[in-house]
Amino acid sequence: MSIKQLIFRNLKKNLKNYYLYVFALIFSVALYFAFVTLQFDPALDEAKGSVKGAASMRAASVLLVAIVSIFLLYANNIFIKRRSQEIGLLQLIGMTKNRIFHILSIENFMLYYSSLAIGSFIGFAASKLIMMILFKITKVETIATLNFSTHALIQTLIVFTVIYIFIMLMNFLFIKKQSILSLFNVLSSSQIKINKVSFVQIIIGIVGICLIVSGYFVSTKLFGGDFSTMTELFIAMIYILSSVIIGTYLFYKGSVTFIFNIIRKQKNGYLTVNEVLSLSSLMFRMKSNALLLTIITTVSALAIGLLSLSYIAYYSAEKSAENYVAADFSMTVKEDAELFKQALNSHEIAYSERVIDVIQVEVDVRNLIETKLEEINFDPNVMLLSVISDDAIQNVDLSTEETIFTGYSDILQKFMSFKDSGKIDLKGKEINIPQNYLGLKKDFVISNYFTNGGLPTAIVDDSTFKQLKNDLVTEIQKESSIYIGITVKNEKNLEKANDIYTETSEKLNNVSPHSSRLNISNVQKKNMGMIMFIVGFLGLTFLITSGCILYFKQMDESEEEKSNYTILRKLGFTQGDLLKGIRIKQLFNFGIPLTIGLLHSYFAVQSGWFLFGTEIWTPMILVMVLYTVLYSIFGLLSILYYKRVIRESLY
Amino acid sequence: MTILTGKKIHKIYGNKFNKQEVLKALDINIQKGEFVSIMGPSGSGKTTLLNVLSSIDKVSNGSIQIGDKEITTMKEKQLAEFRKRNLGFIFQEYNLLDTLTVKENILLPLSITKVPKKEANQKFKLLAEELGIYEVKDKYPNQISGGQKQRTSAARAFIHEPSIIFADEPTGALDSKSASDLLMKLSELNQKLKATIIMVTHDMAAASFSNRVIFIKDGGIYSHLNKGEQTRQTFYQDIMKTQGVLGGVHHEH
Ligand SMILES: Nc1ncnc2c1ncn2[C@@H]1O[C@H](COP(=O)(O)OP(=O)(O)OP(=O)(O)O)[C@@H](O)[C@H]1O
Ligand SMILES: [Mg+2]
Repeated sequence: MSIKQLIFRNLKKNLKNYYLYVFALIFSVALYFAFVTLQFDPALDEAKGSVKGAASMRAASVLLVAIVSIFLLYANNIFIKRRSQEIGLLQLIGMTKNRIFHILSIENFMLYYSSLAIGSFIGFAASKLIMMILFKITKVETIATLNFSTHALIQTLIVFTVIYIFIMLMNFLFIKKQSILSLFNVLSSSQIKINKVSFVQIIIGIVGICLIVSGYFVSTKLFGGDFSTMTELFIAMIYILSSVIIGTYLFYKGSVTFIFNIIRKQKNGYLTVNEVLSLSSLMFRMKSNALLLTIITTVSALAIGLLSLSYIAYYSAEKSAENYVAADFSMTVKEDAELFKQALNSHEIAYSERVIDVIQVEVDVRNLIETKLEEINFDPNVMLLSVISDDAIQNVDLSTEETIFTGYSDILQKFMSFKDSGKIDLKGKEINIPQNYLGLKKDFVISNYFTNGGLPTAIVDDSTFKQLKNDLVTEIQKESSIYIGITVKNEKNLEKANDIYTETSEKLNNVSPHSSRLNISNVQKKNMGMIMFIVGFLGLTFLITSGCILYFKQMDESEEEKSNYTILRKLGFTQGDLLKGIRIKQLFNFGIPLTIGLLHSYFAVQSGWFLFGTEIWTPMILVMVLYTVLYSIFGLLSILYYKRVIRESLY
Repeated sequence: MTILTGKKIHKIYGNKFNKQEVLKALDINIQKGEFVSIMGPSGSGKTTLLNVLSSIDKVSNGSIQIGDKEITTMKEKQLAEFRKRNLGFIFQEYNLLDTLTVKENILLPLSITKVPKKEANQKFKLLAEELGIYEVKDKYPNQISGGQKQRTSAARAFIHEPSIIFADEPTGALDSKSASDLLMKLSELNQKLKATIIMVTHDMAAASFSNRVIFIKDGGIYSHLNKGEQTRQTFYQDIMKTQGVLGGVHHEH
């Protein structure tokens, strides 16, 4: 057989076995190429928005290269080991190592570069779709066009060629290092060592679970007030990270074996075929893959967590805009408001208006405050709050001694909370009005221009308000003391009204603060959309590559266990019986890392989500479900592979 | 009553270009409750014959009936079901699952028939003690000797009291004491439970435990020896004579 034939035959055989590798290769190339195409597309400038957006795109593309190259090197490592027998055989028939390396390189070259070509093509085609998605989530209204970028192609080629060189280097070293004999032994030496579960392992197992649980526990306390300085907070975060990661490692190293061992002990030697295939094999294998599984779990958790958080921020954009602007549009200058109202009238858009007088008053809240973070240093004797009259708010009627607070951001609440009731003092220039504080309401009634960074607004009885107004401390008053909220009556007209607002605001000559809720929400959507897009892109790449690696591992495992299937089938277990056991096994194999990853990210999101938005469940669950579904695909594929191995194990 | 009939069994290994006909039109008949030994030179096709008779391997041609069922045409699922309930195997290469302990390996066939745990444990204890492997019950196959593996394999074949036991060199790795213990156990199963036993062996002493010895050579049956009313001693002499004619290890090609 000539070398050419040999290469060709190997190639054909490998393609059948490694279709997923080829698929993953094509997929990585496509993703990367699409990403850089986007990066170089001028149409994207608007979506990128700022220098920050462009920088994060660049950082993401570097990360993308890192993920892809680690994956490809790892996958290659698996495959070269699988082929060591073949390599040994070629050596046995007298081929030199250089010659073998040569054959391998050519074979790899063909596989690699045809995947590269196909991948680039798909990537290019997909980039338009991806761009449309990006524009959609960042609310940029541009038509996505297809621009072929030579720059992107060259960059892709360079990156993947460098990876190829590394792969070749790895293969070269692998072949150089091996003697004929050891080549034949690679598979068997990687086989699991079956031993009794030792005492040390039990300890490792328990410690692992304890570490994870303690990390989770601290994470729930993170912003609960137990850590009062920045240093403490920082130490707590470091503790959570390290205890969870180390705990995860120990969990795979010992806990899985330990737990399964307890279950197995209880069976007292009487195992069903399902248990034989799942329990007994998982027990020993998870341990040897501990590091890999830890990395996969941690990075999955990171991806799910980040994606959830950015989606929370995106999803809450409208809600948080409501906290900033208490109406569709808010103004602080009468003339400006007039101008805008005229414009609305001329377009026949119906609206309602609410005008509220707002004054700034120093309030002594000493008796109310429970500050948690020592480093928020302010004087509770003189908290500067906006004060409005209860006449301005419907459904609120207070007596002269009563005050309630309204509108208070969740984030501030975490660091500083108010008691439910207590005595406060409203301080004018001369007078001092003692009040009974009755509680905190959630609604924001004026815009954030007045709220001094999310502090509540005090509502007092009209008479009290008048008293204060006549005794103002002028230095602390804002430029404007009037809030004008304009709300469009028919929601359908909002977009149009917003256009009018944008037009009008250009004409306003002074720099008085006025804002549109829609604009604020859109800006946040744009920023968060971009981040979400990038995190999603990276997360998807990571998901696919780690899914592939788990699948490859399962491919190896199934080959190693083939003899077991043969035995079981000889004893009279049907393919169906075995497959049932395999399904359970894969449920654990893919389910355990997934569940742990989901749990990690759940606790991470829980501990700090309120810094990002106002709604946690819908966005988080959506992200998690999506991740789970995509991840399960690899589990299903591996079951199909097992099915084939089981079928071929007898006759 | 005949329990197993094989007619014109052909077994060909290899492909079109490289054929090796291991069994050539072999006929065989086994009575219910018989203890049959199969002897023959190495490579003569004993394991192959056992495999096709027990439906683990497919014949290239011919028919095999167990009871009144033709097994060569049966579906894989039916075959598996049949094997699982009625057959017991002691394989030449032991075929133990290396991720299971000795006890787990042995109890495997019982999990199918849903024998209660307590009963299973009793059965196990009795059998394992008889075969001298109770002490190693919690070890894994890679931690026990070849002989212990063989006895484990045997215990697994006996535990569910199958109606036919196929044993391929069950005493190959055993010292004479363990070997005769195992053979006594086989005889006992044969006599008490009327289990049919088909055993491949090189060991004439082992063969002398059976009712009948079949010699195979060149893919066919060379001769039969019936024990009849003879003692084991005289039967042993007979076997030795035939074996001598057959000529020990046979070199093909
Ligand atoms: N799976 C197979 N593929 C190809 N040839 C096989 C296969 N199994 C057995 N053979 C061939 O069939 C012949 C008979 O093998 P078999 O294992 O039945 O011999 P045996 O009588 O059991 O020998 P031994 O006493 O050494 O166990 C041998 O020549 C062997 O090379
Ligand atoms: Mg044999």
